[in-house]
Amino acid sequence: MKVTLISIPVRDQEKALKFYTEKLGFLKKKDAPLGGGNRWLTLVSPEWQDGPELLLEPAPNHFEPCKVFQDALMEAGFPYTQFDVDDVDAEYDRLVKLGVEFSVKPTEMGTAKFAVFNDTCGNNIQIVEML
Amino acid sequence: MTFYETKIKHIKNNCFSNDKQIQTVIGIKNYIDNNYEFDLNLDFLSHIKFISKYHMLRLFKKYYGLTPRQYLIDKRIDKSKEHLTNGISVTETCYAVGFESLGSFSTLFKTRTGKSPIDFQKKSNFQEVR
Repeated sequence: MKVTLISIPVRDQEKALKFYTEKLGFLKKKDAPLGGGNRWLTLVSPEWQDGPELLLEPAPNHFEPCKVFQDALMEAGFPYTQFDVDDVDAEYDRLVKLGVEFSVKPTEMGTAKFAVFNDTCGNNIQIVEML
Repeated sequence: MTFYETKIKHIKNNCFSNDKQIQTVIGIKNYIDNNYEFDLNLDFLSHIKFISKYHMLRLFKKYYGLTPRQYLIDKRIDKSKEHLTNGISVTETCYAVGFESLGSFSTLFKTRTGKSPIDFQKKSNFQEVR
């Protein structure tokens, strides 16, 4: 078995595609229609294009418990998932300039530095740098 | 403060309150990052930070979740991928990242990435052409 996919629940796939590609810098890899306006939509990191894919999944629109779970995480400030970056401070500055809202500014904890932002699609996302 | 921030603060106080230990292991990790191509061993790494070998091993594992040796191997494999993608030969890559035997490098590379170094290089060239 191989780990090749990470799923992120999003309320609006088109809006998520724009945010994750235009602001975060991911590249679109797969985009196939699934009926009813839904798509199998995956992204990859530009520097690791054969690495794991990020699935932008419209689950909250079709499965109420997923929406409830997503809302609860958002309310509590919990990140849905996290991405590695080389420099949290630099990425924080870059994203703030693009209008991205952070709930946790760059913070050190032991051997890691992290920050948390709102992906505008229902999730908090954490970026992490290993110190 | 959100529930998440409260939890993070709790973990920080419980697990990451010893700043001296943390700075020591970060220093060792940075040393590996900057010297991965040389012959590094536990005695040497502990010597540069004036702590005993086994204490250093335990601290590194406690804060990074893996041993310095495992971290060094991961670092070398990452760097070898960069070299191979940039068109550097398998033999040159092997020695440039600090491995001493071509056979053990190839075996380790295949175990970690699923491909031999030469197949990895062919695939990355193919992706560039595409």
